[in-house]
Amino acid sequence: MKFTSIAIKDFKELIRDRRGLFFILLFPIFFMMIFGFAFGGMGQDNTPHNIAIVNYDQGATQPTGGQFNFGNNLTNGLKDVNYPNSNVKLFNVTETTEDQAETLLKQRTVDAELIIPNNYSASMVSLIVNSTGLQTTAVNKTISTPIIRGDEGYSNFFASQSALNGYLTQYQEGVVNGFKNQIAGTPGAQPVQYINTTIEGISGTQSFTQFDFLAPGMIVFAILLLATTIAAILTREVESGTLERLKMSKMRSFDLLFGGLIPWSLVAGAQVIILLLVALVLGLHWQGGINSVILATVIGIIGGVASISLAMIIASFAKNDRQAANLGTLIVVPTSFLVGAFFQLPQEFITVFGHTFQIYEILPWTHTLSALRAVLIYGEGLNAVAYQIELSIVLTVILFVIGVFLFSRTRLSAEN
Amino acid sequence: MDYMIEAKDLTKKFDNLTAVDGLNIKIKKGEVFGFLGPNGAGKTTSIKMMVGLLHPTSGNVLINGVDVDKIEKGTIGICPQELMLWENLTCKESLNLMADMYEVPKKIRDERVQKLLDDLFLVEKADTVVTKLSGGMKRRLNLALSVIHEPEIVVLDEPSEGLDPQSRRVLWNYIRSMRDEQGKTVILTTHLMDEADHLSDRIGIVDHGKLIRLDTPENLKNEIGEGDIVDMKLSEASKNLDIIQELESNEQILSVVEANGRIHIRALNAVGKLPLMMQAVEKFDVHIADLSVRQNTLEDVFIDLTGTGLRE
Repeated sequence: MKFTSIAIKDFKELIRDRRGLFFILLFPIFFMMIFGFAFGGMGQDNTPHNIAIVNYDQGATQPTGGQFNFGNNLTNGLKDVNYPNSNVKLFNVTETTEDQAETLLKQRTVDAELIIPNNYSASMVSLIVNSTGLQTTAVNKTISTPIIRGDEGYSNFFASQSALNGYLTQYQEGVVNGFKNQIAGTPGAQPVQYINTTIEGISGTQSFTQFDFLAPGMIVFAILLLATTIAAILTREVESGTLERLKMSKMRSFDLLFGGLIPWSLVAGAQVIILLLVALVLGLHWQGGINSVILATVIGIIGGVASISLAMIIASFAKNDRQAANLGTLIVVPTSFLVGAFFQLPQEFITVFGHTFQIYEILPWTHTLSALRAVLIYGEGLNAVAYQIELSIVLTVILFVIGVFLFSRTRLSAEN
Repeated sequence: MDYMIEAKDLTKKFDNLTAVDGLNIKIKKGEVFGFLGPNGAGKTTSIKMMVGLLHPTSGNVLINGVDVDKIEKGTIGICPQELMLWENLTCKESLNLMADMYEVPKKIRDERVQKLLDDLFLVEKADTVVTKLSGGMKRRLNLALSVIHEPEIVVLDEPSEGLDPQSRRVLWNYIRSMRDEQGKTVILTTHLMDEADHLSDRIGIVDHGKLIRLDTPENLKNEIGEGDIVDMKLSEASKNLDIIQELESNEQILSVVEANGRIHIRALNAVGKLPLMMQAVEKFDVHIADLSVRQNTLEDVFIDLTGTGLRE
């Protein structure tokens, strides 16, 4: 069984090549950590919106008498409000000037800026008088325009402005209701709500962050990166002449390529486990038990075989290991985007033999990613991902056959 | 006559370059055959075609009467000019791997690995990874990997390249033992005259892709006659041609050739002819910058045949 000797050789070379190991294992961990810190919230379910408040409000006389600054009151309210059923603050407030707020916005230190105009209190008094009929003094009808300002190209701005808008409306209603109750002399009752909209997450996703979506993508990215390293190693075998030595022997193409598959697919499996552990430390909301880890490892190994096949194709054309690494990166990085490792691309459908499917589905790693997400994030079992696994296997086999054909033809036959 | 290798009209063209041009060669069973020629003469290309690693543009190669493409794998062991080693494997691991690739049974494998490590003085480095070996050790391992399966034909492509004298001696002894003790047919390509002279039973001299002479080292040396060589360097190389013409006209001088700016003069009792040579030099008003007298060597054969020294 010559392939076992090749497998042992490849395994020994792999563990003794520290630089290669570093690239295969630590590089994806580094990526995972960056994404974890950026999108994970480090175990905190909700993170406060960073906002800057510029308060020009000059205050006004309340309908019930006495001077009051609604702008200050609103600011304090924004500072104190928590996420529902949580002790995490909804806003992280910085009180500042308009110039300074603009600088903070540009630096993205704050997500949004709220400018409370100088007539805000006056307009609040107008609102109260108009809503309650309470008029102790002559009040001018005043309309004020609070401004929510931000960078419209920044996703955090949309989340923050929505939260701010919601709070402003709530605040105004709260103030009006308070005055109504004051007039009636009762604590007031909440109106009966006939339509009660609630927001529900998919089971288990209530506390999800963007990182939960990204972590399986990072695992697939790492598996894809394997192709670059393996292509460089295969090309090095050509360049160093050791492949020529093997060609002279009784070794068959099958022994070389199948022998290589064993240690490399084990590396893919190890990547899944190591990256999953790192993701858990970084706050991944992992669903499922030990079975899900085993299933994810198997899915990772299938993806790994697809990467090895891709490596064979790259090594068939690259002239040296540096070219293989460059060509590999050139193919692997766009492929990572196409399979949706970082974000979902717009849906593009093609029809072949009457079957319509998404163009990205011809890549085996798309199914690896879908299956990994289903297993690790939604806690799905084998039955739920069987279809994805089957498709992934079929596409991997096709890619493997192409890889073996090209590599055997270009590298394992006599030169012309 | 039992021929192990027969190359018939072997030609290899790369675009506009003819690397090997109609090579016809027959190599006997159990001989050490030296392929001698300068770098770029077509030695390695010829060897690659003769072992089936490169398809010829035309012509064919028979190994023991069978087309080279149809011989059983493992009949030939090739020790390439370049080091072909797995950098992260130890000597023993590399040898075991190649033995497995040639389907050598484990018991025999272990004995052979041990013997090769002994014969090539690598025992102490058996468990050392290749990256930590010296250049000479790597060369010896390169050879060991080529013969682990005990092939009938061993091809050694420039085996002494870059070797220290000690490693070269080990290698030469091993090459002789392959022929004398194991009855192997050995093909040796080299541009080192003394290596070809000391090891080869027959020598083929190739240049510009063509076989220009094939015989035993002794016959080749005798072919250009007896006598010693006076190797002379003049203070002004521009006068070399004038002096060569002057000496050639003298009947006591057997031959005169220029190689690498030096004049090689062959003559019987060369020391006794030195005054005659001095006269010729003085006639052109130049001085002798360097002069030595030595025995006729294979290099002189090559120079006599090609009119030039070996290109490096």
